[in-house]
Amino acid sequence: MDKKGFSQHISQQYNEDLEQIITQVMTMGGLVEQQLEAALEALVSGDQAKGEQVVTSDYRVNAMEVELDDACISVLARRQPAASDLRLVVAVIKTITDLERIGDEAERVGRMALHLLEEDRQRSPMGEIAALGEQVKGMVRGALDAFARMDAEQAVRVAQEDIKADAQYDAIIRRLVKNLEDNPRSVPPVLDIVWATRSLERIGDRSRNICEYVIYFVRGKDVRHVSFEQMAAEATGDRR
Amino acid sequence: MQRRLTGSANDPRIKARYRREARFKAYSITALLVAFGIIIGFFADIIGQGYTAFWQHEIRVTLDYNERAERIGRFAIDEDLRDVVSRGAVRGIPLEMRNNPELAGTTREAWVPVYSRIDQYFKGNETLADDLAARVESLRDEGVIRSSFNWIFFTSGDSKLPEMAGIFSAVVGSLLVLMVTLAIAFPIGVMSAIYLEEFAPDNRLTQAIEVNINNLAAVPSIIFGLLGLAVFINTFGVPRSSALVGGLTLALMTLPIIIISTRAALRAVPDPIRLGAFAMGCSRWQVVRDHVLPLSLPGILTGTIIGLAQAMGETAPLIIVGMIAYIPDAPGGIFDAATVLPAQIFTWASEPRQAFQERTGAGIMVLLAVLLTLNATAVLLRRRFERRW
Amino acid sequence: MPQVKMQAEDLNLWYGQTQALHDVNLSMYDREVTALIGPSGCGKSTFLRCLNRMNDLIPQVRLQGRVSLDEEDIYDSSVDVVQLRTFVGMVFQKPNPFPKSIYENIAYAPRLHGTARSRSELDDLVESSLKRAGLWKEVADRLDTPGTELSGGQQQRLCIARAIAVNPEVILMDEPASALDPLATATVEELIHELKDNYTIVIVTHNLQQAARVAGYTAFFHMGQVVEFNDTDTLFTNPRVQRTEDYITGRFG
Repeated sequence: MDKKGFSQHISQQYNEDLEQIITQVMTMGGLVEQQLEAALEALVSGDQAKGEQVVTSDYRVNAMEVELDDACISVLARRQPAASDLRLVVAVIKTITDLERIGDEAERVGRMALHLLEEDRQRSPMGEIAALGEQVKGMVRGALDAFARMDAEQAVRVAQEDIKADAQYDAIIRRLVKNLEDNPRSVPPVLDIVWATRSLERIGDRSRNICEYVIYFVRGKDVRHVSFEQMAAEATGDRR
Repeated sequence: MQRRLTGSANDPRIKARYRREARFKAYSITALLVAFGIIIGFFADIIGQGYTAFWQHEIRVTLDYNERAERIGRFAIDEDLRDVVSRGAVRGIPLEMRNNPELAGTTREAWVPVYSRIDQYFKGNETLADDLAARVESLRDEGVIRSSFNWIFFTSGDSKLPEMAGIFSAVVGSLLVLMVTLAIAFPIGVMSAIYLEEFAPDNRLTQAIEVNINNLAAVPSIIFGLLGLAVFINTFGVPRSSALVGGLTLALMTLPIIIISTRAALRAVPDPIRLGAFAMGCSRWQVVRDHVLPLSLPGILTGTIIGLAQAMGETAPLIIVGMIAYIPDAPGGIFDAATVLPAQIFTWASEPRQAFQERTGAGIMVLLAVLLTLNATAVLLRRRFERRW
Repeated sequence: MPQVKMQAEDLNLWYGQTQALHDVNLSMYDREVTALIGPSGCGKSTFLRCLNRMNDLIPQVRLQGRVSLDEEDIYDSSVDVVQLRTFVGMVFQKPNPFPKSIYENIAYAPRLHGTARSRSELDDLVESSLKRAGLWKEVADRLDTPGTELSGGQQQRLCIARAIAVNPEVILMDEPASALDPLATATVEELIHELKDNYTIVIVTHNLQQAARVAGYTAFFHMGQVVEFNDTDTLFTNPRVQRTEDYITGRFG
């Protein structure tokens, strides 16, 4: 599949419309990555300023979702896209939903971070949490990268990273539960950390979704709710 | 805001263009008026020459069916009127008396035509000896001589005596010739055209045929006359000077015209109609019969009428096949000797006498009237059956 | 697996020296709508005309291969072309009603073929054909007026009613709505949708969205060949051949 395939329509305007949409998606992705970065810093190092920044900046992610949705609907109405163009627009619409959710999760992490005191941090498995944060940050980066380069094989690799993220998440939760058992009076802050961890895990899930959309767009195969083996097979199979 | 349109009609360049266009228009109108003027002049001349033939003078006489009249008709009339009365009026009296013996000894009053010179004298075209002139003048003043509508012109055939001459036999001859022409040229022409247009494959042969038919339409008509003489009269023995040979000759001449106009009419039927009929499961013949022919019929009829109108005015070929003879009696059938209107006009035009001159003009008017009627019928037919599709 | 109604096998066609169809193999299924799409001059209309042998009317056409209706070769020398066209009807791009009354337009062919003779049989046939074409209500009170006085969309429906009246099994449509406004187009498409329960329909269209709307199966023609043939959903969301993809996304036309 030609990587620049979307840009060779007879209608120049159509090309520009689609390129504009993809650029916007990347911008939104970049914004979300920034939010996630700031939220993680607030959580792990206690940077209050960053925490507040994440919370107050979430509206920008939401605004971009609305704008991109409009652009996609406009293309659907005016161009009646078919085949790969149609799959692209559908993939974009779904991706921005997931990106917006990732933004929401980042905002929650930032908000939780604001509630935490230094002593809460020291009592928590911040190292593992930071690791999980890096893991999902890499997944978001990887998913967006696969989208930009329309690389189905990379999408599969990134999707499979979710296995590791889930494992990390399970381990952290077990530690936190043990903390709770040991210190029954520290429930509120521990709960906050649980929510934050949960958000990170969900960011990983959402990144995997985006990878599935990339595979759908590039290969024309719907790989949601299938096993990783099947996904890998579909992604690498030759279409033509 | 800059005004770009207001006043643009006053730009000198634009004005020069307006003037050019006005000049061009003026030239066109002038050309039209000249052409129209010529036609008007032509008609005026003909009508001026011929209208007087539609009435002529007649005299009231007492026909005395006596013994001497039985041998020489002139003796049935009073002696001093014998040089006034037309010879033709009385030459039939002996035969009349023989066929109707009971007339012997009787007398009858009748209006009979006057001698043509006297008629022409009254019309101001000829002179008479003074005493004769005085006599006929007084007869007219008394009411014995009067001018009335010239029915003879329409009811009699040709005659050496102009006052007895009419176009009736020529008209009958023309009609018979026309009927023969139509009966032969129409079916053959239309069927040929249908075959060439709808059935024949488009190859060299059919193209050659088409070229030849177009050329035939341009052949001088006198050639057809020669052809008629050689083939119909000499080879096939068709009676010379008959309506049959005239009709056959004119049919040959009209055939290319009918074929060409029929093909044009068929071609004018749009193809989608044929395709629709084919798609409905019609054979080619059914497509032609049920769909193409009904639509092209007005065009075919118009073309045929125009071809016939042209044939009606033809003289040269008919002269060659002998239809210029002196035909006093109307032909009884297509094998009898006949003449046609244009030939009759030609004959009269060769006569020096003024009386025949005016009858030439009248004959032309009758012929023109017939042709104009035919052409008007063609136009009416076309308008009436014009279809939108 | 739907039944095959008409099939083209190894079909090649030449206009004089130019080859217009190359090794066309296509199956048209019974009581389905098959759309033929492709750029101008790709051979889709030429192919359509092979199905009812309308190409026979063009003298320089030469054909090789087999076209069958219910497995009978329609080009066999013992086949009466006129008979064939009562089984395979055609509707043209520009509506071409006969310049006769609406009644006559529909009654002409059945009367000609003898499928209906008496006045009452013809009356019934005219009424049922017009009803099935969705035109009855609009013209029931003026059956004697010329068919050419109807609007474009009505004329096309009249042509469809006329085609139905001979009770064909297959109806071929050559860009039936391209000369009509959007409302008339929608009416004709709706009619196609209703007709497909009883007739096999093959429709040529240059309007991709129309093919997507009405057809169950679509064949993409390019330069006289069938590039891809598939059910419409698959062809329009995930075509297998790059050329198909390029055409339907507007990368060439």
